[in-house]
Amino acid sequence: MLVCRSTEAGGRESVGGLRMRFLPLIWSGIWRKPGRTVLIFLQVSVAFALFGVLQGLKTGVQHAVDAARADLLLVHSRLSLIMEGLPMGLLEPIRSVAGVRVAIPVELFGGYYQKPEQGVGIVAVTPDKDWTAAFTFTIAPGYLAAFARSRTGALVRDLAAEKYGWKIGDHIPLKSNTLQKNGSNDWAFDVVGTFADSDVGGGRYIILINLPYYDEARATGKGTVNHFNVAVTDPKLAVPVADAIDRLSANSSHETKTESLRELAQLNVQQIGDFDFLIHAIVGAVLAALLFATATMMMQSIRERTPELAVLKTLGFSDRAVFLLVLAEALTLCVAAAAFGLALATLTLPLAARFVLGLSMPAITVAIGLGCAVLVALVSAAVPAALAARLRIVSALAQR
Amino acid sequence: MTFTRQFIALLRMNLGGLTDRLGAVLAILMGVTCTVGVLVSMLAMGTGLHSQVLGDVHDDIVVVTSHGGGGFQGSIPREEANAVRDLPGIARSKDGEPLVGLAFAVPVEARRRVTGRRVFFELAGSTMTFMLMHPEEMHFTEGRMYRPGLHELIASNPCVRQFAGFELGARREVRGSDWTVVGHFDQGHNMQCVVVTDADTLMTTFGSNTYSHISVQLALPADFDVFRKALESNPALHLEAKHQRDMLEENFKQFNALLRFAAYFVGSIIALGATLGAVNSLYSIVDARRRELATLRAIGFGGAAIVAALLCESVLLALPGALLGSGLAWLFFHRMAVSPFGYNFELEVTAGLAAIGIAWALAMGLIGGLLPALRAARVPVTTALRAT
Repeated sequence: MLVCRSTEAGGRESVGGLRMRFLPLIWSGIWRKPGRTVLIFLQVSVAFALFGVLQGLKTGVQHAVDAARADLLLVHSRLSLIMEGLPMGLLEPIRSVAGVRVAIPVELFGGYYQKPEQGVGIVAVTPDKDWTAAFTFTIAPGYLAAFARSRTGALVRDLAAEKYGWKIGDHIPLKSNTLQKNGSNDWAFDVVGTFADSDVGGGRYIILINLPYYDEARATGKGTVNHFNVAVTDPKLAVPVADAIDRLSANSSHETKTESLRELAQLNVQQIGDFDFLIHAIVGAVLAALLFATATMMMQSIRERTPELAVLKTLGFSDRAVFLLVLAEALTLCVAAAAFGLALATLTLPLAARFVLGLSMPAITVAIGLGCAVLVALVSAAVPAALAARLRIVSALAQR
Repeated sequence: MTFTRQFIALLRMNLGGLTDRLGAVLAILMGVTCTVGVLVSMLAMGTGLHSQVLGDVHDDIVVVTSHGGGGFQGSIPREEANAVRDLPGIARSKDGEPLVGLAFAVPVEARRRVTGRRVFFELAGSTMTFMLMHPEEMHFTEGRMYRPGLHELIASNPCVRQFAGFELGARREVRGSDWTVVGHFDQGHNMQCVVVTDADTLMTTFGSNTYSHISVQLALPADFDVFRKALESNPALHLEAKHQRDMLEENFKQFNALLRFAAYFVGSIIALGATLGAVNSLYSIVDARRRELATLRAIGFGGAAIVAALLCESVLLALPGALLGSGLAWLFFHRMAVSPFGYNFELEVTAGLAAIGIAWALAMGLIGGLLPALRAARVPVTTALRAT
């Protein structure tokens, strides 16, 4: 682009010829002081790696919300998300609502494996026909069949199996704050398979167990569940179906609130809203410091190269060509370094994703990053380039 | 002696010439300011949260919870809760009542005052003895205490500020019936929304037979071991006792670790960038002094003195950045209220954090100055003097 425009300005040579002359000049300008160039390159890369991670956090969370299933509904008590029980009796009325494909009762409780720090989320479900349609889990058919056959069987999430070293056939003892009928708080399940979960909001270390068995074995709370998972026949029906389900229990002692997984994800995202400001502040501070550092270096570089630029002008380079030459140098360096930094961020994201859910690097983040790099280059090189363009040959050469 | 004299002479020369290299100096300053500013501000979240959580901790308060890692959300049957009252080591009120507070908590929905967003707050049911434990901390600003057996609530002032529907006399629906807000109170340093009502009334409403945790005030902090032994040796009790401090720290450990990780992760990346920038600036400063340095070498200045003087210079350039960064963090973020993930607290920029910032600046100055200093010491005398 820049090169083409400079041709119009010069108006004498073919584009190819000018490019042939310009590219080696830019290249040699960049590598005139290799040490300095490498340092600037690294500095810009580091700044944009940080930009990528922070911005990736922000946009990644938004993506996670958009990716959350809108066609899976969670029926919970209107008073609280999980603390309130709902009667099992609601199941049949919910199943008979038009547009409901599958409805599965779910009971959640917590426990730990060996040490209190090794928490396990226990999700009790009834493995009725097509039950997996109401969840975001991916389970192999063989494991599904084994789970339906075994009363004390458990499917463990891949992450939990990996963390605690559980294998199929293992008998896993868990301690829980939910008591059994015999007053004991020791529970044990047989691992019959593993599963993966595509929902970013889902627990990491969770296991699935049979609700009929659990309901039978527990001391209190029999006949109630935390929520019902509902899959609708058509995603477009999600809202009317949710309203119809909530109408079932209106004005009763156990009013329900039905929300899609996407709505729940949005609720979670709102809570980290305060971080937006922080991320903007950090990115702003880093870019400002970077701008200043590159501008100083460009200035320094132009000052040192005054005689060389004067020679170029003597050879017939217009003011404009020299101006563009300096800008092109800064642009090449900054954009290449920013691209490298963003690539680095993409590589480190999986590491950071262990601490923060929903990190990802969508194309828009990369585009914004490169845009910022162009801006940094143009702003920091503008003054040095203008100085170079206004150089007077005689006095510049006289300095020597 | 010669080393010291050479060092001082060099340092004076270096610092004196800095005004000619204003761009490079400012670039270093800005880099360090940014790094320290960001690091200190982010760490201020952790210190703010910590002092808020542990602000009202008492050494004589013990939290009793059920086995099984229930934390504050355990399940303690009524018989076991009543048995705790008879354990040794517990302080007693003037009337001889053991200071044992039974608690039952449920999360309830509220709406943010400003945004109308839905959030969950904890409705805490407690027994009257709670009010006798460190009563100096809780004081009513308006209204009165709830009466057990009636559907009445008292709310801490942060609730009134943040959420809609906590005005005096406001009615809130809890489990299908209306509960009236009858009092507002302040509680120590706590900035969380706390809504309290009578535990037994709340448990009846929710059809629960188990308390979620028990707070116990000891006669003396040293009685903890006596109390714990008695608790654990009783075969009828499936409970465990922890100091209030340990319990709270455990509860916030994960969140605190996340905040620290984020602060140091971001801080290290920015520091790396700023150090690279500083190396570049210092190189350009050294390059500009090639002739002076060569001259000094020619008249017998030692390499060690040159290295030491440049390192000292680079540290002196970094330090104002640290002060400026900490100062800006304090100016902009000290006492700023944030509420990530539903916790409410204020950022706190402390002297300790400023010290961490200064330590980082020192490290950046030393690391950034090392290579340029070595180059300064190795300036080839003849070529440098011949060069124009």
